[in-house]
Amino acid sequence: MLALSRRINESIMLGNDIEISILEIKGEQVKIGIKAPNSVPVYRKEIFLQIQEENKKAVASEQTKESIEQLFKL
Amino acid sequence: MLVKTRYFGEVDLDDDKVITFDSGIFGFEEYKRYALLFNSDAENRPTISWLQSIDEESLALPVMIPTVVMPEYNPIVEDELLKNLGEYDDNTLSVLVTVTVPKEIENMTVNLKAPIVINTATMKGSQVVVENADYEIKFPVFEILTGGKKGKEEI
Repeated sequence: MLALSRRINESIMLGNDIEISILEIKGEQVKIGIKAPNSVPVYRKEIFLQIQEENKKAVASEQTKESIEQLFKL
Repeated sequence: MLVKTRYFGEVDLDDDKVITFDSGIFGFEEYKRYALLFNSDAENRPTISWLQSIDEESLALPVMIPTVVMPEYNPIVEDELLKNLGEYDDNTLSVLVTVTVPKEIENMTVNLKAPIVINTATMKGSQVVVENADYEIKFPVFEILTGGKKGKEEI
């Protein structure tokens, strides 16, 4: 992984249209600004991982098709 | 084309039923081609169907129409995120949510945070993260589906 040191109000460019800025540093917390085209989705990583995990759980269901269908016939 | 599926055996699928997810879906980014399969014995198209990968037999997710469990479901999605679905309007967009059914069936949930959006005009699909802060990844639905209706004991 590339590691760059930045100070407050300094930025990093990813390509020519994504800018990551350091807005505020408070103890253990850093506030980051992200300027990117609307077509680029930005996620907090933990949300991203949770959604990946949830899809995997949905695929890994041990229930049969019939028992799932039954739930929708009530 | 003949497709091996997890729940429906081998099915003969018309090419125009193939839905392309250019970015795949979360956790399965490498699989891009899917079909929606459901039990055709039912009189009407059932609420529950399966998003089956064309290229991997074991990859199938149960998906359902979200308004059955949340009539007011109204996901907010950045328009730009839907651009790769091609031209669409309200009539051609279909929104589904994935259903997770664990061993303890009463703990079943749907993912309201990351619905599957399909443009039936172009047969392109995408799983998007919605901006609604209160939509949960694990929204419990067992009570809603079974609550107050007879037949609950049968499960």
